Amino acid sequence: MIAAVLKKELRQYVRDGRVLVLVGVLFGLGVAAALSGWNTVRAMEAERAAASAVDRDVWDNQGQKNPHTAAHFSRYAFRPITNVSVFDPGVNTAVGGAVWLEAHHQDPATLRPIEDAVEIHRFAQLSPAWILQCFAPLLLVLLVFASVAGERERGTLRHMMSTGVRANKLLWGKGLAALIVLSTLAPLLALVLAMVMASGASPLPDAAARGGLLVATYAVYLLVCLFIALAVSARSRRSKTALVVLLGFWALSAVVAPRLANNVGALVHPAPQSAEFWSALNEASSGAFWGTSEEAKKRQEAVRERALAEYGVASVEELPINYDGYMLQASEEFANEVFDEHYGALHDTLMRQRETARYFSLVSPTIAIGNISSALAGSDVAAHHHFTNAAEQFRRDFIRLLNEEMIEHAGKDGYNYQSDNAFWRQTPDFQYTPQTISEVWPRIWPDVLMLALWCLAGLSLATSGVRASFAEEATS
Amino acid sequence: MSHAAITSQERRALVKDRARLLLLVGFLLLCVVALANGAMHRSALSRSTQAFVTEKQEALDKWQTRAQAVESGKVKPEDDAWAGLAMDVKLPVSAQPGPLADLSVGVSDHQPTTAEASQWRTVDRLFGNYEYQSPAVLAQGPFDLAFVVIFVLPLVMIVMAFDVLSEDRERGRLGLILAQPVAVGTVVFSRLRVRLGALLGVLVVALVCGLVVGAGGIDVSARIPRFLLWSALACVHFGLWAAIIAWVVSWRRTGEATLLVLVATWALTCLIGPACISAATEAVYPTPSRLQLLSQVRQASSEAYQSRADIVQGMTLDHPELEADQYSLPEFIRTAYIVTQTVDGGVAAPLATFEQVQADRQRFLGVAQYLSPAVLTLQAFNETAGTSLARQRAFERQARQFKRDLAQRIEQHVLTGRRMTVAELDALPRFSFEEASLEQVLGRAAVPLGFLALLAAVFATLAARNLARAGARIDAS
Repeated sequence: MIAAVLKKELRQYVRDGRVLVLVGVLFGLGVAAALSGWNTVRAMEAERAAASAVDRDVWDNQGQKNPHTAAHFSRYAFRPITNVSVFDPGVNTAVGGAVWLEAHHQDPATLRPIEDAVEIHRFAQLSPAWILQCFAPLLLVLLVFASVAGERERGTLRHMMSTGVRANKLLWGKGLAALIVLSTLAPLLALVLAMVMASGASPLPDAAARGGLLVATYAVYLLVCLFIALAVSARSRRSKTALVVLLGFWALSAVVAPRLANNVGALVHPAPQSAEFWSALNEASSGAFWGTSEEAKKRQEAVRERALAEYGVASVEELPINYDGYMLQASEEFANEVFDEHYGALHDTLMRQRETARYFSLVSPTIAIGNISSALAGSDVAAHHHFTNAAEQFRRDFIRLLNEEMIEHAGKDGYNYQSDNAFWRQTPDFQYTPQTISEVWPRIWPDVLMLALWCLAGLSLATSGVRASFAEEATS
Repeated sequence: MSHAAITSQERRALVKDRARLLLLVGFLLLCVVALANGAMHRSALSRSTQAFVTEKQEALDKWQTRAQAVESGKVKPEDDAWAGLAMDVKLPVSAQPGPLADLSVGVSDHQPTTAEASQWRTVDRLFGNYEYQSPAVLAQGPFDLAFVVIFVLPLVMIVMAFDVLSEDRERGRLGLILAQPVAVGTVVFSRLRVRLGALLGVLVVALVCGLVVGAGGIDVSARIPRFLLWSALACVHFGLWAAIIAWVVSWRRTGEATLLVLVATWALTCLIGPACISAATEAVYPTPSRLQLLSQVRQASSEAYQSRADIVQGMTLDHPELEADQYSLPEFIRTAYIVTQTVDGGVAAPLATFEQVQADRQRFLGVAQYLSPAVLTLQAFNETAGTSLARQRAFERQARQFKRDLAQRIEQHVLTGRRMTVAELDALPRFSFEEASLEQVLGRAAVPLGFLALLAAVFATLAARNLARAGARIDAS
């Protein structure tokens, strides 16, 4: 019986030119999105590779220079873009691609693509993930809104019931037909996969597991949309009413809610303004150590006492090391704690914003799939935070290396001491390894759970809805 | 049946229609959230900008106090060799948020609004260290009144009015209504006036609240001229969608078909169109690589550092009046200045290329925006609110020019190591952002406003003509 319903539905879809047009438009958009994503990722990766090479070359050949002067020039850590960003760019445009690893400061990542983007960039970003999150549900709504309500309206539901069609069979027959139409977009997945492979960008660890999880969660997401559409159609007396409700839900869930959720998160947990944050950070990390206040003088004195005790001498002049370098390293260690505190508080605020935004997934499954998708693509806020943390750890080691060079070799020359290219060339490069799937999972399981709950609720509503409509039809 | 009777009947129906009332309340709530969000953004930005200027002014005051102490003889010059150090003159550069940045956040949530004109920093880092905003919020975009008007309002209008004619037709009441001495056009337009008028009322209330709530400490009356223009744009956008709805309704299709056509139009103009225009703009005029610029800066900086002795020699040959041989300050001060100037000069051409690409893009968008009323409205909103990319680029240009001018004025002091006096500091110009005048804003917004109004008039005329013909056909049948 399912087969009969399925066949009838598919025949109707084929006869309905609108469905073919819609599928064609979506296919075209999908191809454009895949090509656009590939082009962006390929260009970004090429730029990163070139900039990394130049940075190394400039560093290696900077000539004779004091190590601390070099620490102010320092190096850059460049964020490798993941190849799955072709599919879901996440927040890539809103985060910086380079971190300056200078002495005394933990700088934010700079060179955000959004700053060079056109004003309308944030209207909508063409990406395969966007097509799946936003337009695939719309296609399902248009395919399914009249599936039960239309039969009731036309009086054909009673006729179907008289031929022995059961509620469940109708539900699965109609649902499968819509999914088959949707599956005509499957070649797009192959295209996206090819573009991901051809992008030349850094592959993510656990690629197979990520790919599998992405396919599975998107499948569940589309099932959620299908079940909701079927449930609304079954509960509506008229197909027009079903269409109004479903389009309203789609607009709210896929277009308005994601933006609203993030903004409400920021409204409830406001982050400090950039100028204020930087000023407070600078004062607490630099001013509190190098400044002229009593506290700063005490800190400097404590460092002096520590150095004298460590080397068992009575005065700075007797130290067997360069004291300027020692002070510089002490100031770094002092500042690092301040950075951890300030950046930690900022990160906590951003995470609280994210948690608040996550509540909106109770009304919008798109938010849940969006979180899962960008996390698996390595393009979410947490992935960026992981990169900036790695860059900061490298900065601390790198600056310590330069300070140690001064401590051990500068002697009485102090700031007049100069290292040469032979030393610069010994210093390491920044290497970044993205998070593994086991590190990503703890932050996406609530979204996966939410999606599963949506799916169960949708299935339950759809099943009970079709049964109820059968019962009503039988008694009317 | 008169126009008044239809209107009165429609009002009663609207009051009893819980679903539509709920929709109106929902729209009002979204407006409230958007206004609160915008007001908070503007207020925080304004406070932060002011705090930045105050902090820099305090630092400048300290500089002045030290210089004054040496000048007045309270402190011996040899006891404070760094007093009056020209290199340490750091002047604040800032632009207050646009007058209506709360209504239309535009680019103000991710572009720098403050900078420190200092010769210790190269021009590429003039606006450094401001990238702390939430990436998730930036990527999604602001939830402001502009978003509500451009995205949400048309959807609510569609749901409110798509069945203004089809409902009666589907229920078999249309013939009965038209049996009365009333034209079908009168029925449609009267009903639209009631249903959409209620929505317009909510929008007007939101706008008026926005004018007051979002002022954030500045004089409300100073916002009024731009606010009126912004409101006019919002109303014309509303009018355009009302006309589009009337036009599609006048096709006299089923409610389903009308709804589908309207939602497809919305998706095309608000989502797909802008996404394609944005992608096309960036494909036709790709941004030059910022990473490449960074590499150029670092190369230039390293080369300048290595050849600093040659550069100093060249400068003293060109300017014997600098008397560089009497220089007594630490060498790294002059070196830093020379490196900064060399880098600034070296990256002037790449920065000009960036500006050229931005200008080309803006020109391209200036034409392409007419393909999507949403794009046209957003750009005009931002322009009016003072949050457009064009304004931001103007600010950045002025800031860079100010830094260059400052360098020229202090160069002799830095290279010769001569102290700068308080009087000389006072004589230095201070940065003041040249905001576009109201006439200029009007000039830029007038064409989009006129185009939207014209489009609305065309659709309304087509709708009226279709409905008049429909009335004739119904009469004949």
